[in-house]
Amino acid sequence: MNPPKKIVFTGLGAVCGAGRIVDEIFDAIVNGRSAIAPIKQFDASRWPVRIAAECGVENKILVPDRKLHKSISRTDIFGIYAAESAIQQSGLPAHRETLDAAATIQFNDRSGIFAGSGGGNYGCNYDFFPAMAESGGDLKKFGQKFAESVNPMWLLRNLPNNVLCHVGIRNNFKGTNACITNHCAGGAMAVAEAAAAVRAGEADRAVAVGHDAPFEAETLFHYQRLGLLSPEIVRPFDRDRSGTVFGEGAASVILETAADAESRGAKILGEFLGSGCTTEATGVLDVRPDGDGLGRAIVIALEDAGITCKEVGMIVAHGNGTRASDASEARAIRRVFGENPPPVTGFKWAYGHLIAASGIMDLVFALTALRQKIVPGIFTLNLADPEFAPFPVSKTSQQPRSDIVLVLCRGFGGMDIALLVRANP
Amino acid sequence: MTPRRRIAITGIGMVTPVGNDARTTWANLQAGRSGLGTIQHFDASGFPVRIGAEVKSFDAAAVIGNPKVLKHSTRSQRFALAAAEEAFMDAGIRPKVSDGHRWGFCVGAGMMGVDYRELEIVQKSCAPDGEFQPDGFLADNFPADPVAFCRSQTNSGLALLTRHFGIRGYATAVHTACASGGQAIGTALKVMRRGQTDFMLAGGFDSMLNPIGLSVFCLLGALSTDNDAPARASRPFDLTRNGFVLGEGAGFLVLENWDSARKRGAKIYAELAGDGNSLSCYRITDSPPDGDGPIQAIKQALADAGISADEIDYVNAHGTSTQMNDKSECAALRAALQSRVEDVLVSSTKSCMGHLIAAAGAVEAAVCALAIRDGIAPVNANYSQPDPDCNVNLVRGKSQLKKIRAAMSNSLGFGGSNSCLVFRNPEEVE
Repeated sequence: MNPPKKIVFTGLGAVCGAGRIVDEIFDAIVNGRSAIAPIKQFDASRWPVRIAAECGVENKILVPDRKLHKSISRTDIFGIYAAESAIQQSGLPAHRETLDAAATIQFNDRSGIFAGSGGGNYGCNYDFFPAMAESGGDLKKFGQKFAESVNPMWLLRNLPNNVLCHVGIRNNFKGTNACITNHCAGGAMAVAEAAAAVRAGEADRAVAVGHDAPFEAETLFHYQRLGLLSPEIVRPFDRDRSGTVFGEGAASVILETAADAESRGAKILGEFLGSGCTTEATGVLDVRPDGDGLGRAIVIALEDAGITCKEVGMIVAHGNGTRASDASEARAIRRVFGENPPPVTGFKWAYGHLIAASGIMDLVFALTALRQKIVPGIFTLNLADPEFAPFPVSKTSQQPRSDIVLVLCRGFGGMDIALLVRANP
Repeated sequence: MTPRRRIAITGIGMVTPVGNDARTTWANLQAGRSGLGTIQHFDASGFPVRIGAEVKSFDAAAVIGNPKVLKHSTRSQRFALAAAEEAFMDAGIRPKVSDGHRWGFCVGAGMMGVDYRELEIVQKSCAPDGEFQPDGFLADNFPADPVAFCRSQTNSGLALLTRHFGIRGYATAVHTACASGGQAIGTALKVMRRGQTDFMLAGGFDSMLNPIGLSVFCLLGALSTDNDAPARASRPFDLTRNGFVLGEGAGFLVLENWDSARKRGAKIYAELAGDGNSLSCYRITDSPPDGDGPIQAIKQALADAGISADEIDYVNAHGTSTQMNDKSECAALRAALQSRVEDVLVSSTKSCMGHLIAAAGAVEAAVCALAIRDGIAPVNANYSQPDPDCNVNLVRGKSQLKKIRAAMSNSLGFGGSNSCLVFRNPEEVE
């Protein structure tokens, strides 16, 4: 039996409230600067929760093609920008320039794209309010009126697969693809599926991207009512944690075969080792207190990677700061790793919870941290919840035990994703 | 290398505009009966398009029973629950507590959906004169409904079905517009080959037949405006075609490893043999006139199935009945199947049941499996005037009896995602 193909990372890209360059965002993380601040996108001054990690960078800075802005949404701008950043770093377009015509066609057909998309938010429906107000509940009248006030491009602007398609069009990447709309799990699953496609020989390289602009007033309202949001801070695994805080943005990674990356002389940033995906079958909101699904996802990822838990050098947890999720996550980690897990950290205190982009964003910074041989501290941690002890979280930075990191991602629907990657210095 | 796992289709469930179960749907597609008509379940009389392909006489309470599940499900999720239940019954297996972790779920769905009546509640509180005022949510009398919030989430269907049926393994929802259902089944195939699950519930569900969904397709000008002749409004590949007809429904397949299906004596409809998947990289709503993009998906699917075009006897086309799609798809079929295209029977069952959007590819995969079982290529209804740009061997007039060694289903989405699935007759496999 042939050994499984080695899959490597050759490009990373990210944009969020903490910045739009990977090194800039990482600098914020290691120096304890959180991007969480009062919400600016609407006047939330009277709201019980009025903070988020918003990305303040203008559309035209992220995607200079102004014409495109008319037919896509803010979340798509984030996704296109992050993917383009990762593609640039990978050097793939420059490499393609060196190919002859036949090899270029082959290259394009063998370049895949996997997007994790938020799949839309409530805000897009507000475009219908003028027509609804005018028709006063009379559907017949609404049917006669909506075309006067709703943008004819509405459906295009709100297609869940816009990032997939526009990154494809801009780069002529025509290979195997998917747009995963699985709430928080989307971005992490995009990485897992991209890696699986390259491993199975369905593509020679793939872009994985996760993007989301997950909140506007209505989403904020519902999350707050459900007790999922903290009014002041994200404190993952802290005794006094009180909920999560929204963020927005996108992250992207380029995966390719090690053979291809080496032959074209690309800088190899890390290696994809394995993934696991499960659901707890608990409905939209609930998680099992015992961390059943997450524990199974970790075990599947270890088996997929062909490694034991002792080889894992650090864990970047989902750590969203809610009471139930953090407690069950700590239990899942303890169940797999026993009394002596490797150092655990989480980054949501710095850039908020990016929902569909959260898992892939955490992966980008897990890889960046481990390349520098550091486990950044959870800067907002006051007192690690004694209920999970011994559980190696810290306010200050820790030393990784190896060059392998486990990244965890959880989402609505009882979804649990585990990714294992090795960092290359 | 270890031989690749072979995947069998052993269960089928459908809720469509031509029938609330697979048997009725298949019988009506064979007969070429139309499920299209004037929209009944909301007042569409003021809309530029007043026709659709609705699921009819679907008694959710009777089919689903459990009131809690009913409360947590949208219109299209109820179709999904019914179709999935039928698929499990048909297969004769379903997830148990002991093996739920070896079952996976792949579904074409996941565009955020808000019921129009729920949107009206928000509008009355937050935008009474049309302009959105966020503080309206903070009013004491705002009727916050956490269940409606949950229903509107992108993966609420995944959450509902995995919970209802006890599926605890790999689970995903994909949304590549009209290619979603095909891509979901293709993803399921790949996940099973990787050994990540032993059983899979794979399919799609959708209903954009509501005031918002109808509005946005009207704005794009993608729909047929034949309001006075709905039964003939969807006429794929006909020279006079003028847009698609919006449909709704759900389709699910139960997939399992071939050897274990054989061992338990299951009936096998077909092998889910190959998946092809590409991006056109052309324009967001336009199809490439030369078929570039779909061509690669078709070729990949054949290669993945390990067969040549010579073995394909039937193609269930995407065939939306828009000018551009049908022309592009025929160009792709000609380029990918080459001389074989003269002999392969082609039909679009959207001629009878309209376009089910994210569910289309899933329902059409089920149709391919039934076509193989019965040796029947269903009719491409409403075809009368040939289009020289759509020069393929259409199933004209009535359905044709023909042994189908292998069938193919295309799903081509807005944004340029192309999915092609290949199914093989069990007799050809063994």
